[in-house]
Amino acid sequence: MSNPTGHDCEACPAHAQLAQMGVSLANTDYLIALAGNPNTGKSSVFNALTGLNQHVGNWTGKTVTRAEGAYGFGGKRYKLVDLPGTYSLLSASQDEEVARNFLLFGQPDCTIVVVDATALERNLNLAMQVLEITDKVVICVNLMDEAKRKGLTVDVRSLSRDLGVPAVPTVARTKEGLPHLVQTVADVVSGAIVTQPFRPAPPDKVRVAVEELVPMIEELAPGLPNARWVAMRLLDGDHRVRQALIAGELNGMQASQSASAEGHSRLVALQGSQ
Amino acid sequence: MIDSPMPWLVLATVVALVYWPRVGLAALLSSRRDRLRRELVEDALKHVLSWEQRGKAATLESLSGAMHASPTTVLQLCTDMQKRGLLHVAPGGFGLTAKGEQLALHVVRAHRLWERYLADDAGLPLDKLHQAAEKAEHGLSADYLDELDAHLGHPQSDPHGDPIPTRDGHLEQLHAVSLAEWPSDKSARIVHMEDEPTVVFQQILAAGLRPGMIVRILDQDEERLVISDGVNEHRLAPAVAANIHVHPTEVGQSLPRVATSLADLNKGVVAEVVEIDDACRGFSRRRLMDLGLTPGAKVSVVLDNTFGDPRAFRIRDTTIALRAEQARLIWVRPLAPAADREGVAA
Amino acid sequence: MSASATTPQSVLDRADGLRRQLGATVRDDMVAALYEQSSIIVDRAVKGRGSQNWDLDQRIDRVVTSQIFGLPIMLLILSCIFYLTILGANVPSAMLASLLFSFEDLAAGWFDALGAPWWLTGFIWHGVYRGLAWVISVMLPPMAIFFPVFTILEDLGYLPRVAFNMDWLFRKAGAHGKQALTMAMGFGCNAAGVIATRVIDSPRERLIAILTNNFVPCNGRYPTLIMLAVIFVGAAFPPAFAAVAAAGAVVGVVLLGVIMTLIVSWVLSKTVLQGEASAFTLELPPYRRPSILRILYTSLIDRTLFVLWRAILTAAPAGAVIWILANVTWGDASLAQHSVDFLEPFGWALGLDGVIILAYIIAIPANEIVVPTMMMAYLGVGMMTEPTSYDDIRRILVDEHGWTLLTAVSLMLFSLLHNPCATTILTIWKETRSARWTTIGALLPLAIAFVVCFVVAAVWRLVA
Repeated sequence: MSNPTGHDCEACPAHAQLAQMGVSLANTDYLIALAGNPNTGKSSVFNALTGLNQHVGNWTGKTVTRAEGAYGFGGKRYKLVDLPGTYSLLSASQDEEVARNFLLFGQPDCTIVVVDATALERNLNLAMQVLEITDKVVICVNLMDEAKRKGLTVDVRSLSRDLGVPAVPTVARTKEGLPHLVQTVADVVSGAIVTQPFRPAPPDKVRVAVEELVPMIEELAPGLPNARWVAMRLLDGDHRVRQALIAGELNGMQASQSASAEGHSRLVALQGSQ
Repeated sequence: MIDSPMPWLVLATVVALVYWPRVGLAALLSSRRDRLRRELVEDALKHVLSWEQRGKAATLESLSGAMHASPTTVLQLCTDMQKRGLLHVAPGGFGLTAKGEQLALHVVRAHRLWERYLADDAGLPLDKLHQAAEKAEHGLSADYLDELDAHLGHPQSDPHGDPIPTRDGHLEQLHAVSLAEWPSDKSARIVHMEDEPTVVFQQILAAGLRPGMIVRILDQDEERLVISDGVNEHRLAPAVAANIHVHPTEVGQSLPRVATSLADLNKGVVAEVVEIDDACRGFSRRRLMDLGLTPGAKVSVVLDNTFGDPRAFRIRDTTIALRAEQARLIWVRPLAPAADREGVAA
Repeated sequence: MSASATTPQSVLDRADGLRRQLGATVRDDMVAALYEQSSIIVDRAVKGRGSQNWDLDQRIDRVVTSQIFGLPIMLLILSCIFYLTILGANVPSAMLASLLFSFEDLAAGWFDALGAPWWLTGFIWHGVYRGLAWVISVMLPPMAIFFPVFTILEDLGYLPRVAFNMDWLFRKAGAHGKQALTMAMGFGCNAAGVIATRVIDSPRERLIAILTNNFVPCNGRYPTLIMLAVIFVGAAFPPAFAAVAAAGAVVGVVLLGVIMTLIVSWVLSKTVLQGEASAFTLELPPYRRPSILRILYTSLIDRTLFVLWRAILTAAPAGAVIWILANVTWGDASLAQHSVDFLEPFGWALGLDGVIILAYIIAIPANEIVVPTMMMAYLGVGMMTEPTSYDDIRRILVDEHGWTLLTAVSLMLFSLLHNPCATTILTIWKETRSARWTTIGALLPLAIAFVVCFVVAAVWRLVA
């Protein structure tokens, strides 16, 4: 892979179709969440797609509110929500809470996880947590130019295969790879790409407990896409997830989804993955 | 002669200041009296509960000793509590009624949750927790405690190992052996340290022992115990060791722990994370784990600043600065430099 | 599974039971497992790890965080920013001022021509408009230079290194290293500095950073400091060294501000904001080439215009008040004169005078208008004025109104330590949502300024 992005997308037909729409958020067709570690160029991706100029500093906790913008592609309008940059979704700091709750209750049609190609180990930690919650995910492997400068070659196809979701190499600052990214997002949203997210087995110590809880949770909320994640959160004593279970928010989420076509394909994808 | 309304106004004001409901002087004094009274009752309940747990009945003497109050005050208090159905006379002293036990467990729950909060979130050192929690434990509602419990991630024990009762009054028994009775050929994990009396607790802490440590008794006689954590030796009086409780170690946890703290790691040496110390809890522990400081991760020192603190470490292809007080709680095993160079070449 | 009885509560109860059996390590185990998997996947996908190419970042870091050069380099960079800001803002400031003020005369002329009464023309154009014009011309150019330069450092990745270098000092003061960043922001504008405290996770340490941000002088206070440094410090040296001496005096005041920040942080963390240091995990990201155009855009929109807008909101009423005070007479003198006479003894006790105190009261909305308000009162004219040269100012202050070195020193201290401007107070309220902390944030510096100035004046007079 001599070309760091692996794709020559300046030539794609998609390139011409991306329309930055700034803050005009009315009547969007799809909701896309943008997650990622701090310092991954997440806001560069956001700015490049929406044409906005969101400035986020080089540290976590800077934005505890979400930025929103929109872009148009292939005749559809996408609303893009920039979640706070976090290292994890487990620590329950304020920004992680915001990001986690949006993924759980905001019902995004697709989630883009921006990862830093030069520090993938730590970035995949977050990406895999996102995959536990939702299966419509596209991994945006950003900072490919930096990786190249540091002598790293990143096999994006290997990543994609191992994670069970599409991975797209990008250099957000120069907009390299972004047309391919929006095309992939469109394909995942439309169901043209069916993801089969990789969900590693729970650690040995908790496996038995998880296996006992999952059927109970599924009985309570049939078709829930992330029963195993819910089980693990309950075993960790996650307050918000307990509340959601009692209030039936998890069930409600399932009900509203199966009413829509996307909900159906989500179930198909889920069955495929388990 | 009462020509002027002034005296009446003054009088009315004074009366209002004293007798105004809730904020008047009388109301304030009475609510303060009620509060002090409630604190006394709750302290007495805790004392009786702790004696019951040791299979003894609390007496007037033990109560007045524990609460630093005169026997007359305590007698009056106990009579009052009997009337309210919290205490009953048991063989040799007082016992808790069902209602009394429920209230006592509530206060214990408040105390231990507060200790957990102060240790995890406020970062108070172990020997400061008890005092602070003694002040904070009174007058907290069960709902408030539930919220605190949830915020802390439903902890099961307080920072020195005492189990926290559940809201419905279920209290796990501590199944642990005192270190004074532990055989000297087997390693053990410290699960609990008695935090009262404070003098003894401070001796334990001064000896460098912490909950979660794995220790082995090296030598033992009437005067002292010599125990080792694999790196350092600690000396304790048997009476002090009796306040430490241990569990057998799990498979794989063995002595000696050939580990140094990350704070002592030399520049240029690559090390492997062994574990994060049990003393590092709450948000701090979670953040360190999330940054990739999990067992087996490779870590090295890359930068020292003018003051030598914080230092920056290379961890999972990122550079993270940590203060010495945090690095001290991360145990690492230095890898042989040669082996590392091979790894780089390969 | 008991299919009949699965309720949310039964699931929770079962989960709680299981959790008790598992012990407290569930989360540790989960994170460790995730990283184990992550490591396997990355080993398969990434080639070339362990090569030393990232050393370039490290080599830069070895210099800028060096044990010997780290702090000097930092001071040098920060001094350069201040120098650039002060120097670069002069010309555009003057241009803006002449443009905006000439429009004032023009507009006032139209009003007169239309037959508007003198007080209406005066109130709108010489009062409100003039206040606005003043703030814009004094504030906008320095901010338009300071914020982009600062943002470049931020995007480059240098600021986390500043926090890394300074953390030890802040730890000793019971605060967080990232407070160094919020302080640096405060040099531009304290309100922006207060907003920047969001980067600090712990509420306790964040409050300390908010309450002490005021002790670094912002752009609006430089004019006062620079004027005093030039007139009283610079003039005491031979002309060749005057500029350096004056600059040195400003740097000295700034360092004093930093020391005050550390002292007050320490006192706060030992008294009302007790607690231990929170988790300090600071990522030092790789250095990245900043994209200049985006920086210009974002620092102008997000920071400069934002701060300016708030200042304008507060400066307009101030302009009106100044005009009214100077033009409404009661008995034989203007309200301004009455106020000055009333405040005189109080000012004297602090080593200042009544005019200075009045100027600071009027300038609560925005510190930029302190010097012009003072000049207005001294000259007895009906609107804010700025004399044309430092020699003029020196003549007015020293020869005509009895300023001494004590006045200058006290004023520098007062300017450094006094209460934050209304914009900053408003921002503290917005960030803390607490009347208590907002009040403390406003009054604590004021109290410190009173005490320090009072003691300095008393000791000075005793000794002299």
